[in-house]
Amino acid sequence: MSEEFNFTIKDYESNFKPTWCPGCGNFSQWRAIRQALIELEIPPEEVVAVSGIGCSSHMPNFLKVYGLQTVHGRGIPVATGIRLANPKLTVLVYGGDGDIYGIGGNHFLHACRRNVDIITIVSNNFVYGLTTGQASATTPVGTITRTTPRGSIENPLNPIATAISAGATFVARAFSGDLKHLSYIIKEAIDHRGFAFVDVFSPCITFNRNQTFNYFRERVYKVDDTDHDKEDFYAALDLSNQKFIKDNLPIGIFYQIEHKTTYEERDFTLNQGVIPAHAPLDLSKEQIDIITKEFY
Amino acid sequence: MTKDIIIRFVGSAGDGLVSLGNLFSKILKKHNFNVLGFRSYQSVIRGGYNEYQIRASTDEVLSIGEEADIIVLLNKSVAAIHRVRVNKDAMVIYDNDYINLDELDYPEDIQKLPIPLANITKDISKLKVLKNIVGFGAISQILGLDETLIKEVIVEQFGHKGEEVVFTNFEALEKGDKFATENKWPIKWEKHKYEKAQQMIITGNEALALGMISAGLKFYSGYPMTPATSIVHYLTKHLPKLGMIVKQTEDEIAAIGMAIGAAYCGARAATGTSGGGFSLMSELVGMAGIEEIPLVVINSQRAGPSTGMATKTEQADLFQAYGISQGEFPKVILAPSSVIEAFNVGVDAVEIAEKYQVVVIVLLDLYLSEHIATVRKFDLERKNSRFAILDKPSEDYIRYKITKTGVSPRTLPGTKNGVFFTGSSERNESGTSIASTLAGLPETLPIREEMVKKRMRKLEYILEELEKPKIYGEKEASITLVSWGSTKYILREAIKLLKAEGIEANQLHIKAINPFHKTEVKEILSNAKEVLCVEQNFTGQMNDYIRMKTGFDIKHNLRRWDGEPIVPSQIIAKVKEVLNIE
Repeated sequence: MSEEFNFTIKDYESNFKPTWCPGCGNFSQWRAIRQALIELEIPPEEVVAVSGIGCSSHMPNFLKVYGLQTVHGRGIPVATGIRLANPKLTVLVYGGDGDIYGIGGNHFLHACRRNVDIITIVSNNFVYGLTTGQASATTPVGTITRTTPRGSIENPLNPIATAISAGATFVARAFSGDLKHLSYIIKEAIDHRGFAFVDVFSPCITFNRNQTFNYFRERVYKVDDTDHDKEDFYAALDLSNQKFIKDNLPIGIFYQIEHKTTYEERDFTLNQGVIPAHAPLDLSKEQIDIITKEFY
Repeated sequence: MTKDIIIRFVGSAGDGLVSLGNLFSKILKKHNFNVLGFRSYQSVIRGGYNEYQIRASTDEVLSIGEEADIIVLLNKSVAAIHRVRVNKDAMVIYDNDYINLDELDYPEDIQKLPIPLANITKDISKLKVLKNIVGFGAISQILGLDETLIKEVIVEQFGHKGEEVVFTNFEALEKGDKFATENKWPIKWEKHKYEKAQQMIITGNEALALGMISAGLKFYSGYPMTPATSIVHYLTKHLPKLGMIVKQTEDEIAAIGMAIGAAYCGARAATGTSGGGFSLMSELVGMAGIEEIPLVVINSQRAGPSTGMATKTEQADLFQAYGISQGEFPKVILAPSSVIEAFNVGVDAVEIAEKYQVVVIVLLDLYLSEHIATVRKFDLERKNSRFAILDKPSEDYIRYKITKTGVSPRTLPGTKNGVFFTGSSERNESGTSIASTLAGLPETLPIREEMVKKRMRKLEYILEELEKPKIYGEKEASITLVSWGSTKYILREAIKLLKAEGIEANQLHIKAINPFHKTEVKEILSNAKEVLCVEQNFTGQMNDYIRMKTGFDIKHNLRRWDGEPIVPSQIIAKVKEVLNIE
């Protein structure tokens, strides 16, 4: 954190105006991310926003922070490399359900178990939007899409349960229709030490007529309003497995533990305080002796 | 007088062939021999048929050689298989309590040297591997090796295990020596005093890793795949002392993804794999290309396609490397030929990547990755400098400024005023995507044209920095041999042997595959009397590549694709065939 922090929300906004459909759930996330960075007093140059491909993955285009858009599904490994090379940076991964749960699913699992201190926010709209409406990993059974004209026959992935089981140390859900709560959750995620994951119910107003803003408004309730113990692994799993029934879509922090060491704390190079991105390039005589001894 | 010997250990996986071969290579190195060692093996953990062949010479060692002077059979099942590989005058060492050579129909002219290794070892220790040291003792008698030097190697190798282990090894060594003396084993070389060696003995993979480290490599990621895995093994050993991260990932896509992330942050980064993993990396290679992120990608080729023959060598990924990832972007492809060159290419690859913000692909092959060779001490004390990185950018900084060389100074995340966006889509100079709402607009068409040109012209400048190919040997030779990768010195041996027969051959070796020195290559080939292209693949990829780049059609070809390294006798026979010499 810098000493004199006087950035405004505009300072995190690029010249490129968002290209999302008017009314898209991504807008409030765009706002919430900037809001959270300001509240945490993280200047733009210390943030890297990484994404994949899809509507939501355009996010880094519209932020004035270091931004890197990768190819489809590969935001997490690239972000991990960034963080390991320079652990001073705040590294955000942003993408959609297709990008992170579908094509990038393998990386998502391993990021959870590694507990590298990065933040992954998934704009979950239950559909492939940019390719004009196909079923995704979170599309409920029976949903009619352009690739499932007779209704989807695959069971959807439960991202919250998956993340908890795989070892993520911060697992939360928010809703694009509640900006205040969304900003709070994203702020908590950024502030968390270790891998933080936020699944955001973010309606696609063009290709999804089922999971709409109204659909969620009628069903979401805040975990904070209950007596849920977010440090209780089994309670968190239980909560994540509640079925999609009326008035029963919990949002908030499902699971958070602070006692688990992060990857950075365990790594034998990083825990010496080294920043590989800026470490000296030349070898000392002593280093040369150590690394060549076995060849004599 | 030149001393030159080939020793072949034949055993199964689980016989400890690698450590045995490496140890004996070190012993020979200690005696100041030039040494080359290569294991031919199978993808099994226990059992099967493996060979470890070592060639040692007072002259330079160019190839692993063909006919072994000394063969050591480590078990009965391999002894039966090896029969057809035994040359007439070989000395064959074997444990006669377990192997009966008379039953196995070995050629009559061989020198049989039975020795009850297991029985001798039993008296010393329960450790079965000690029988190898007993064997070394016996062989050292044949070769007139210096006991003190062998013991030095044993201390270096086993010293950390304690005095008792060292002395047990000494005893095993002495017993082997004594057995050979008492049984009047043949003496090939008389004992004499050896000068102590200053050389290193190292594999191609390790040399490449050392080269990269000395050029300031700070991040390496990989997923296990033969024959690239030993790069990770070596780097991991020392990383905390180097301020370096070495990361095993969930797959090769993550491996290259992490390396790209680290490189974008400013860490000099590389990733390595073999063909299968290289295929998976393909998409992100192109991303690093368009985002202009410096990156080294190593592909140690093995026999394909698909899983192919995982433990066998081949040079069949040339076009995979050249065509990797969709679209057009500058990719540098370098193929080192030897352990020494692997080190040099390691340095160059890391430097070129950062200097030009490009992907540098290093094409190795299994034979180069895995064989060990003695080399003079590498110069690791380099003074590295950073290229095209701005610490204090001006307020109006833009990331992808069009420049003469195509290289735009970059900022690293964390730098004030340096914030920029990069993506896998086409962009303008400031980094903004021109692929969505700006795509196809009249004003963006010239931007696309210029951005492609900017990236591609880096290759012109890189070409100027690369060493030009030149002819090795007599200019007026009857035939020019063309090679790439690890076959370079095998050809050199053939050239040497041909010269001894009065046949002049020279060599054009290609190291820089892209960018390509087409003018020089075309000129050399046009002046050649006959041209023979030698490569380890079926289709003749280098031959096709040269024709594509220069229009020159090489008429004669020698190709091998059975998985084993090409040998000088094959080349000699082919040269004679081309030249119509009986």
